[in-house]
Amino acid sequence: MPVQYVIEEWDFRELTLKMRPPVFIPRPETEELVGLVMEELRTRGPAQDSPASLRFLEVGCGSGAVSLSLLHHCPQCHAVAVDRSSEALDLTRENAERLGVLERLQIVQLDVLLDADSVLCQCGSVDFIVSNPPYVFAEDLPLLEPEILWYEDQRSLDGGEGGMDVIKQILCIGTRALKKNGKIFLEVDPRHPLMIQEWLRSQSDHGLEYRETHRDFTGRSRFCVLQKTAPEC
Amino acid sequence: MGTFKTVGENKQAKMKNCICFIGSQLSKQRFLLAMAGAAHGSRQCALTHRYYQQWNWRRTPRGPAGLYTQQLTRRHCQHFSKELLQQESVQRYLEKMIEEYRQVTQRLNNTALTESERRTMSRRQIELSPMATVFQQSQRAVKDLKDVQAIIESAEAGEDTQMLELAKEEQKGIRKLIEALQIKLLQSLVPSDKHDASDVIVEVAAGRTTGGDICQQFTREIFEMYQNFASYKQWAFEVLNYTPAEYGGLHHAAARIAGESVYRHFKYEGGMHRVQRIPEVGLSSRMQRIHTGTMMVIVLPQPDEVDVIIEPKDLRIDTFRSKGAGGQSVNTTDSAVRLVHIPTGITVECQQERSQLQNRETAMRMLRARIYQQLIEKETEQRQSARKLQVGTRSQSERIRTYNFTQDRVTDHRISYVTRDIKEFLSGGELLEELISELLKSAETEALLELVENSRD
Repeated sequence: MPVQYVIEEWDFRELTLKMRPPVFIPRPETEELVGLVMEELRTRGPAQDSPASLRFLEVGCGSGAVSLSLLHHCPQCHAVAVDRSSEALDLTRENAERLGVLERLQIVQLDVLLDADSVLCQCGSVDFIVSNPPYVFAEDLPLLEPEILWYEDQRSLDGGEGGMDVIKQILCIGTRALKKNGKIFLEVDPRHPLMIQEWLRSQSDHGLEYRETHRDFTGRSRFCVLQKTAPEC
Repeated sequence: MGTFKTVGENKQAKMKNCICFIGSQLSKQRFLLAMAGAAHGSRQCALTHRYYQQWNWRRTPRGPAGLYTQQLTRRHCQHFSKELLQQESVQRYLEKMIEEYRQVTQRLNNTALTESERRTMSRRQIELSPMATVFQQSQRAVKDLKDVQAIIESAEAGEDTQMLELAKEEQKGIRKLIEALQIKLLQSLVPSDKHDASDVIVEVAAGRTTGGDICQQFTREIFEMYQNFASYKQWAFEVLNYTPAEYGGLHHAAARIAGESVYRHFKYEGGMHRVQRIPEVGLSSRMQRIHTGTMMVIVLPQPDEVDVIIEPKDLRIDTFRSKGAGGQSVNTTDSAVRLVHIPTGITVECQQERSQLQNRETAMRMLRARIYQQLIEKETEQRQSARKLQVGTRSQSERIRTYNFTQDRVTDHRISYVTRDIKEFLSGGELLEELISELLKSAETEALLELVENSRD
């Protein structure tokens, strides 16, 4: 059994979070995803005229690591955390309470693959979207360490054929839910940056522009940043 | 001297208004005394002269500053005292500084200065003003002392016991004040290390032995001593790295200590510490013989982010790296991080935290401190100095302190300071603080003398 489940907790950046099977255990790469968003908030912050609070959406929150880190770091932010698993949302709620950020967090249970419209109703318009979506290629799933498959929720790993199912859906949501110039931050498989750009070229009217690819500490292309450039659809 | 006649004439008035009144009456006398420079009576002038003569005679012609210090510290007390202030070279240096202050103040009052000139002048003025203030205060106090002495002498002559008592008390008070001011004055002359106020990273590492683990046991005790000292001084002590050895010893460890003027206190702890004991615990305790071991302490001031700039491309980060795509497909608890700074080759490891990012941040902090330390060492190497207490230039193999358990003695070799009660010393309380303050005093004296020496050329 993964150590994190045995001791029922693990650290994520400067936070200690409760862990419980089968909710997905945060990976070290995701710590860098949060760092990217924080960097964006930092450079963006002083330029803003209105100190109005920022709202963001997290798709697939799992234990809540990403949302809670951001809420902890930025006291003015509000978040909407979405996941299809009720166990994940319970754990997120628990961790949020422990960290004292529950008032700024809205927890919604739904499956973005099935119910994208509800997402838009629930969260309204947001300043940015952040996600560590299931991105393992379906064909690669059997090759994972057995421990992962036995204990962690497979739905939090399976991205379908090509690993792009949830990613594509997030981009569609982004088209409609993001404010102008809002950004999308994704953690993906190293093969995805190119695949995403290709897919965007094949689609029209999405109003999104691919901005950057960032590497993780092992040197693999891990993070994609996109921005909404077209006006509200 | 003419003074006494004047005093005798105004005796009645003096009884009411002690010093102040005398002050106004003797202003002319005071002025003359001030011009004399040393502001001492004839008796004391002779004393100075004798000191100076003896010192002159002993001193080697143009020897390096180190020899100077040896003779001086051997003969006299190792701390700031009247003797130090009365040395001609120190006096001259002091006068030079006062003169410079006067000039700078005068020029600043003139309007015709360029912007940059004004800036440098005002900076210099700010640097010199504490010293100038204390100097003025001490001049005033010396004047007051002269006045009181005059009163005493006149009271003795006139057999006025009441006046005599009052005056004698006044004299005692002023003398104490003068001593305190003189120490302050000397301290204000000594240039302070720009890192004195910084936090530090302290690293300890056990030395190598041919057998047994006396070094490792000793390293653990020293690390604990510093931990206790930090809490004694109410500083924050954060362990960055702790690598134990077998059988309860400590192989190497690092800690960050944050608080007020931490570096100032810790800078003389760096170096090789030697231990001599008959071990009671651990591997070496089987044979009841005296063992000798060593351990290294390295003290690094924590630089600000701006002081050390590290380019990401100069860094190689080694972490647990999986085969394949990594990311979601791997779950690991191995969060150890090793940073290698390629241009200098400095390597730092950290695995204290469970979060890899935290380990990376800690490792970056340590790396920054090490790189900074290298920079400083390069700087100090270039400055030629024979000071014994120069931070960081001591060769690696020279031991700075010996802890002898069999004779219950701690000896610091740089100032030949010996203290008893090792157990109390290792508890990181008063005894350690005493030693550190002795080291600081010695270092300040050396620094001052060197400064004075260099300025006369």
